[in-house]
Amino acid sequence: MAVARTLGGIGRVTLGSMASIGRAALFMIRAVAAIFTPPFYVREFWHALLTIGYFSLPVVGLTALFTGAALALQIYAGGSRFQAESVVPSIVAIGMVRELGPVLGGLMVAARVASSVAAEIGTMKVTEQIDALVTLSTDPMRYLTAPRVLAATLTVPVLVAVGDIIGIFGGYLVGTGKLGFNASTYLQNTVTYLEFWDVGSGLVKGAVFGFLIALTGCYYGMNSGRGAQGVGRATKSAVVAASVLILAANYVLTEVFFAA
Amino acid sequence: MIELTDIHKSFGSKHVLRGVNLTVPTGTSTVIIGGSGTGKSVTLKCILGLVTPDQGEVRINGAPMTDDGREAFLERFGMLFQGAALFDSLPIWQNVAFRLLRGNLKRPKAEAREIAIEKLRRVGLTPDVANLFPAELSGGMQKRVGLARAIATDPQVIFFDEPTTGLDPIMAGVINDLIREIVTEMGATAMTITHDMSSVRAISDNVAMLHEGVIKWTGPIADLDQSGDPYVDQFIHGRATGPIAAVR
Repeated sequence: MAVARTLGGIGRVTLGSMASIGRAALFMIRAVAAIFTPPFYVREFWHALLTIGYFSLPVVGLTALFTGAALALQIYAGGSRFQAESVVPSIVAIGMVRELGPVLGGLMVAARVASSVAAEIGTMKVTEQIDALVTLSTDPMRYLTAPRVLAATLTVPVLVAVGDIIGIFGGYLVGTGKLGFNASTYLQNTVTYLEFWDVGSGLVKGAVFGFLIALTGCYYGMNSGRGAQGVGRATKSAVVAASVLILAANYVLTEVFFAA
Repeated sequence: MIELTDIHKSFGSKHVLRGVNLTVPTGTSTVIIGGSGTGKSVTLKCILGLVTPDQGEVRINGAPMTDDGREAFLERFGMLFQGAALFDSLPIWQNVAFRLLRGNLKRPKAEAREIAIEKLRRVGLTPDVANLFPAELSGGMQKRVGLARAIATDPQVIFFDEPTTGLDPIMAGVINDLIREIVTEMGATAMTITHDMSSVRAISDNVAMLHEGVIKWTGPIADLDQSGDPYVDQFIHGRATGPIAAVR
């Protein structure tokens, strides 16, 4: 009896999980279809570009600056154990553009954007604004989801690129100001060992992360429960899910791009 | 004409609609009355496709409601939501002119704004609210903006979900008169959900009483007081005792 109950519980959880994955996958397909099929809401897209991209610059920039600076200190401390202090500029650059720029930038944008998108759309749902959109002959997927997903997919790579530059600059400041590197040598080493695909892979990661962040925020917002508690739960779930998805996608993409 | 035939809808184990049958003739104002939680809003949402019925059929002018049919229906439709459901991120005039700024009914911006201000005036709001945001208005003013949005494109079908809730008696009277006027002047078909009996008497041609997921009684407003239906009698007189349990 106990075994049957346990198996039944496992079955219910599995079926529930599969149903959730199916719902999320269908939502993603509908969102992508909405991006490429008219009507297009250009004003909403520009607004999303501004709120998701431009207004995320300070948080991404500061994160990158301190990460680059700390990375320089860590690599210097580690490298000095086997007289490899000179690798600081190149490792800072490679580490920032390949991994830390996209991942930390993505996580910061997830915290800022997935939460606000989920809360905004969730509030719209509980106050019947989504229903109102439908009665005004406006598809919420096209009006709310598509502009946000497209804007995030396009702007997060730009944020990552800016973050890469600022992060490398953070390493440069510490390297030249504290660790005794010559300024021109630092810059030369940074550029010499950096390959095109190091930067390109980070930007691709940024695009994927941006897509996941906005999609997750919209999904949880659209499926928000009732009342303030429902919106709060949707917001929390959106940030957690976006963060986990970013880290999982980062592993998969790194495996695809760099596995031998 | 809007026809509902044997509409059923459950949410989990809760059976909200258990076979709703209702006909709303074109150009008339039908009010659905009934206690809280009896499925009035769900009935409206089934017609609009916001909720998919588990069973039954919705027909508009004799044709079953399909996705294409729903799109065409919504093009000539307006709705006032219970909480107004204004878009927080848009100024008042853009809320009112939402439909006139995009889609098939798109007009030049200046013209859309002019129409919005005219509709605002019609619901008793001055043009100086046009540039404010919904959060800057009182609940009653938001409701009137919601009404202005519902009538912005002179729709042929209008739904009102608790149109006078949250309004003072004078403004409730203004809104009731306006609803009556819209139905009479524009020849629009109106469906209203309300608990407000003064509103029922002011705006309805026909009344339908919904209880426990079915229409218990339907008839012209003139027959309401002599319906002979114990549910209707208890409801319209607000009695605590009767066939409708006070605790639901």
